[in-house]
Amino acid sequence: MLFRRIVLCALLVGALAGLLVSAVQHWQAIPLIASAEVFEGAAESTEEAAALVTSAHEHDHDHAGGDTHAHDAETWAPDEGTERHVWTAVANILTAIGFGLVLVAAITTWEHLRGRPLASAGTGLAWGAAGWLCVFGLPTLGLPPELPGSVAAPLGDRQAWWLLAAASGAAGLALLAFVRGPLRLAGLAVLVLPFAVGAPHLAGGPFAGYDLEIARQMEALAGPFALATTIATAVQWLALGGLSGWAVGKWVRPALTDWTTTP
Amino acid sequence: MQQQATLHIARPKSALLAIAMPVLTAALLGAVIVYGVGFSPIAAAHNAAHDARHVNVFPCH
Repeated sequence: MLFRRIVLCALLVGALAGLLVSAVQHWQAIPLIASAEVFEGAAESTEEAAALVTSAHEHDHDHAGGDTHAHDAETWAPDEGTERHVWTAVANILTAIGFGLVLVAAITTWEHLRGRPLASAGTGLAWGAAGWLCVFGLPTLGLPPELPGSVAAPLGDRQAWWLLAAASGAAGLALLAFVRGPLRLAGLAVLVLPFAVGAPHLAGGPFAGYDLEIARQMEALAGPFALATTIATAVQWLALGGLSGWAVGKWVRPALTDWTTTP
Repeated sequence: MQQQATLHIARPKSALLAIAMPVLTAALLGAVIVYGVGFSPIAAAHNAAHDARHVNVFPCH
């Protein structure tokens, strides 16, 4: 019963937040991705680009044609235009539903353990801000937003560090927010941990391996892209948090009181 | 970890156990969905979610 309510709330919250963020991205971040893709493929693959910084321009002609992606041409990819936008929106909505499930579950647990009606759109915003810090704020401090075509450390290393940063953020914030006494300060240590480990980076920077002129143009896109992703993810998480808090108060709370009145 | 941290503040352990299964299952399901969209190495999943991965700042490529 409780599980079903949490899932239904997360589906609603995720669909709304995912559609909202898709609209926001459509006029700010997506055009920047399209601009960067013009340059993507002007350099060789990641490892070679790092090794061949100086000679990369010799390979320009190999990829200068229609192959804007460094991926296997055999695998399926959405067509340009509407199909691609639809898949992006679907992915956004699924992501928002996934984050919504975690958020609704966390707010439900919080209200249940405190034993009084706390979930609301207002407190949800604080949860959303915390979520944004965990999956955008902290990971981005170590791994700046990547435009298509930018080169970076091996994918597995970056994914592992991203997960470490997000998990440390969640654990550190939870310690700071919910624990009394000296153990609370351990939260600060947990927050700093991923940065003590250090995010994986390549020596040459994100546009190593590109022609100097192309690198300069791509660098000019990086700043606006970082700003666009910051705004889009903040909108997404505030919407997720506010809607989750509201939904828990409206639909999950009735299922919770069953538990709390009969301990 | 959230549950662990809040455990000793308001209620006895039984209160958490009463909702632990649905809450943990929901959170795990959420994590699996986010992994599938943002981190899955399957090429078709990557291509479909490519722009969303970049904008959500998941490591890509």
